[in-house]
Amino acid sequence: MALDFQQLRQQIKQLSAFALTREKQLQKTRELAVELLSAYSSDLEGLKTKIQRITLQKNHLLRCARPVNEELSSRFATPPLPDFATILAADGSQISPDRHLEIQYGLVNVGAFQTLFGKSCTPTLYTQSQLLFGELISGLNEGALALQRDLSERRFLVELAQKAQPPVISFTDGPMELWVGRETTTTESAQNQSAVQEYQTVLSNLCQLEVVTAGYIDKPSSNLVVRLLEIGMASEQDMTNIVEYHPLHGVTDRDLFTFLLAPGERSAIFALQSNSTALYQGELALHFFYVNVGVKEKTSIARVEIPAWVADHPEMISNLHAVLIQQCRLLGSRHYPYALHRAHEVAMVSYQDKEQVTQMILNEFFQHQIKTDALSEKQALKILSGRTRINKF
Amino acid sequence: MTEIEVGRLLRANVYEFVAGCRVSQIDTPSFGALVRVPQANDLHIYGLIYNIHIDDDGLVRQLVTTELLDENTIADNRNNRNHPLEMSVLCVGYRQALQVFHMLPPRPPLALEKIILCDENEVCQFSSSGKFGYFRHILRSNSFAYEELLAAHLMQASAVHQNRGNLGWIQQAAQELIILLRDDYPALMNVLNSLKEIYNIHNLTV
Repeated sequence: MALDFQQLRQQIKQLSAFALTREKQLQKTRELAVELLSAYSSDLEGLKTKIQRITLQKNHLLRCARPVNEELSSRFATPPLPDFATILAADGSQISPDRHLEIQYGLVNVGAFQTLFGKSCTPTLYTQSQLLFGELISGLNEGALALQRDLSERRFLVELAQKAQPPVISFTDGPMELWVGRETTTTESAQNQSAVQEYQTVLSNLCQLEVVTAGYIDKPSSNLVVRLLEIGMASEQDMTNIVEYHPLHGVTDRDLFTFLLAPGERSAIFALQSNSTALYQGELALHFFYVNVGVKEKTSIARVEIPAWVADHPEMISNLHAVLIQQCRLLGSRHYPYALHRAHEVAMVSYQDKEQVTQMILNEFFQHQIKTDALSEKQALKILSGRTRINKF
Repeated sequence: MTEIEVGRLLRANVYEFVAGCRVSQIDTPSFGALVRVPQANDLHIYGLIYNIHIDDDGLVRQLVTTELLDENTIADNRNNRNHPLEMSVLCVGYRQALQVFHMLPPRPPLALEKIILCDENEVCQFSSSGKFGYFRHILRSNSFAYEELLAAHLMQASAVHQNRGNLGWIQQAAQELIILLRDDYPALMNVLNSLKEIYNIHNLTV
């Protein structure tokens, strides 16, 4: 038995007691946050000024929502669906280089799903698999590989959007803001900078193609709007150390919008204020809104990240909102965009796939009599089959 | 004549095999149809389709609960997702060097072999060769309702023979079945009940 369930049982009881107390405390804070959302709803200029003051003090750690031109507590019902749209979704997965294996390689697999809304046809699936070896995997860590995967997803979207019939609405899973991690070496720093530049080019291409592009975040845990409310309620003294000022700690934006949004409704559009704001300027500036893709019986809040060229275009927002709701209705009680789920299915590299790729490479090496490294002793022991009995007693 | 491919072989033994096909191919194979698997050295293995099954998965189960299932989603799941439609086929004989044998094949067909739907000539040739020796393979089976398979096969084969003016084939087949099942009254009654429908269709009398 791997776990000591007796030990865990006691700890689970403690966890349950803790959760109960925390929930009682949080409920009061949530109520306060909802009140504040209503109180600051129309004070867009006041909030913008406060954010500007903080950023002018070179406080790059500030990460929050910045009001644009819609009141904070605005709600917009699901608009009518467009007559026609090409819906594109891309997702990626990867095989990380494993030093315990006989050969060193990595793989990035991007899957895309394309369907025509308003036209009866079988959707099309696309896959792009790239094997990484040699210099490409030298010093490649999990973060860098994930970055390559994210970039590949977006590049693939541009490629497909160029050939697609407009208007095109595209989705990727997760934030649009590229996560470049914390670089520890100058090489990593250069790699990250290059990745961001390429990402900016990709976004510019999507903008030129007038593609409605969005990053979909299911069950978001962010507190961007909550943080905005904290800034709103901060006194002059609190403003001096705003990084440490968290009177609404524990409340998430999902809590706020679960209370506010009815099924199918979206929130106001906010701009994303973060340390990466400088990287996404003009048409590429990142924005987001919350949407309740659930139904009356089950609220389901998602955050949708969009670039400025979409946020500034009411028709694009309207089409994106309507199509998102339609996509999330397709999977019955699971409110998640069908196109994204299918892209995920196409992109996913299973353990069996990995085994097969490894075997294919080993076969190729064997044919050309290329020596391979041995499997590590640790890995060899891990893949041993379980204990078996010779006699049946 | 153009051959109609109804699928490719997934797994097999000498008694039966399972073939997979795309949903877009579903219109061609039918329960009780005679199919052929061409092999090397002019060997052709014959079988009767005794089951056609469609598997599901988590996504399909999720989708059936939705009220707004659109045509594109249905087409996506039928045509794009990796769910072969599976056909179970009972081996009933083979052909080698133009001679038909109602015996089990010398070896099972190999994975990914083409499964061809037999045309009228082949159905006629296979079913009129010998003396209904292949019935014993059907009657031996206890994993499916063989009287239904017999009825489906006899209906299809008798239509072919009738088109060619051989009105006596179905009568001979029925007599052979009566002989084969003479010691198993319940089974015989099941088969005769199935045959009754075919006789009604062809306005035949026993």
